[in-house]
Amino acid sequence: MKPICRIGAGAGFAGDRVDPAVALAASGQVDSIALECLAERTLVSALNARSAHPDGGADPRLRRRLTPLIPVAADHGCRIISNLGAANPAAAARATAALASELGRPGLRVAALLGDDVAHLVQQTAWDQPIEGRLLGAHAYLGSDGMAEALAAGADIVLAGRVADSALFAAPVLAASMRAASPAPGGTAWDADLPLLAGALTVGHLLECTGQLTGGNFDPPGGGGLDAASLAGLGYPLAHVMPDGSAELSLLEDAPGLLDSMTCTLQLLYEVNDPARYITPDAVLDFTGIRFEQIGRNRVRMTGARIVGRPATLKVIAFVERRGVIADVEIGFAGHGAMIRAQCAADVLRLRLQGWAEADLAIDLVGVNSILGAASAPANAAPAELRVHVSARCDDAAMAQEIEDEVYALTLSGPAGGAGVRSERRPRIETVSGLVPRELVPWSLVWETSQ
Amino acid sequence: MRVGDICAGRSGDKGDMLDLTLVARDAAGYRAIERVLTEDFVRRALNRVIPGEVRRYAVPGLLALKFVAPTALPGGIYASLHAGLHWQKAAIWLLLDLVIEPEA
Repeated sequence: MKPICRIGAGAGFAGDRVDPAVALAASGQVDSIALECLAERTLVSALNARSAHPDGGADPRLRRRLTPLIPVAADHGCRIISNLGAANPAAAARATAALASELGRPGLRVAALLGDDVAHLVQQTAWDQPIEGRLLGAHAYLGSDGMAEALAAGADIVLAGRVADSALFAAPVLAASMRAASPAPGGTAWDADLPLLAGALTVGHLLECTGQLTGGNFDPPGGGGLDAASLAGLGYPLAHVMPDGSAELSLLEDAPGLLDSMTCTLQLLYEVNDPARYITPDAVLDFTGIRFEQIGRNRVRMTGARIVGRPATLKVIAFVERRGVIADVEIGFAGHGAMIRAQCAADVLRLRLQGWAEADLAIDLVGVNSILGAASAPANAAPAELRVHVSARCDDAAMAQEIEDEVYALTLSGPAGGAGVRSERRPRIETVSGLVPRELVPWSLVWETSQ
Repeated sequence: MRVGDICAGRSGDKGDMLDLTLVARDAAGYRAIERVLTEDFVRRALNRVIPGEVRRYAVPGLLALKFVAPTALPGGIYASLHAGLHWQKAAIWLLLDLVIEPEA
């Protein structure tokens, strides 16, 4: 069977590595490359940048990421699809067209997808909890319709803001299908052949976290995980999507990595809630009938993706800033008796901070129980060094200063040898999710062309 | 034996929700975790560290179990009092390090 679309995974979060995307585009083995750069929380800094300046709010790494990619992709006729638009896709498209002009690539068509910003629909959104605090923004997860239409209309680069991660990857598949069927303009993903849509969205979900499909963040039972050299050069996956909705997932021949049915299964079920009803803006998917078959080294065939419905609503994520900050402070202890002195320092802080609400204060030992808390294995060795960690929810900067000063005071008035103090203050930003009727969220495209 | 001796696992999050996946190496391993890691057993194990209910989803065709804790991360991970961000990436070890009886 001949693939309808060959797609590569170029990024799985805003700070992801740049070179694997360039390698995929340069291979000539993909028609499109999708870069997922906008995790749930990544939008917060973009919203702040847009508040500071109307041209702000696109991904700040856009130039770093696209400068090596645009020329290689243009040379190989490889389209680029990304949510690098963050809080300002139109500005991202302008910046990208200007960058392509600078890079000596005239005539590239850049489309921006608008419509995800639904801050004006706060009243019409059914929130799962009350919005308490300052609303920084609210965005709906758009599906693949608009991006597919942009690609079918000839876009070389499509930049979105908030869209479902799977939609970034499904869009070129649907665009290929649209071109084959030449439907009337204005169609939706739902007009596509449903097995193909199911396969495209499932492939999107499998590719959206790049290295997690190819042996990153993976500890196989009994050992056999990748070594440091392989992880340092880890290749990102590509997929050949077939017209029947099946797909072949693979790595470039010379790319280090590990892609097998276990890495595929872990990624398939990652962050999907109910695997029989994985809700995306384009369709509700049942993953329970999916099968993975190893058909070669680092090559897996996926079959059995199935659509079981179409959601009437779109998911919305709002960010709310509460008053105050979280203060996060550490002090280290080293040498003989480090554990005893660190435990003593933690006890001193518990005594000094007795007035603080228990729910707003955490005191633990980095190296012992700062991550898994009460479920940590007992510390039975004598570590060479340890850090005491304190975090506290503070109503204002003065309260944060009080926490920081208490930890610093240990250097003079605590157990011997308190060293390596560090501290940071984080804004108190919380996410609230809700649902908004699909028909209230129209999308549109704006176009730029490089000179 | 450790659950991690027979399974690979991964943790993720969405808003307040913690999302844990285990995939067994083989059918015998799947039968063992399917039998022992009941919703109630896992909720008690997780409640040492995180609050709230736990839902289990079994995917026998893929030798996988999912555990979803909808209120485990109140306010999302930015609101956490852990040292630094993203402690939830390690939360799968709450399950991988459980010791269970091998299949009789």
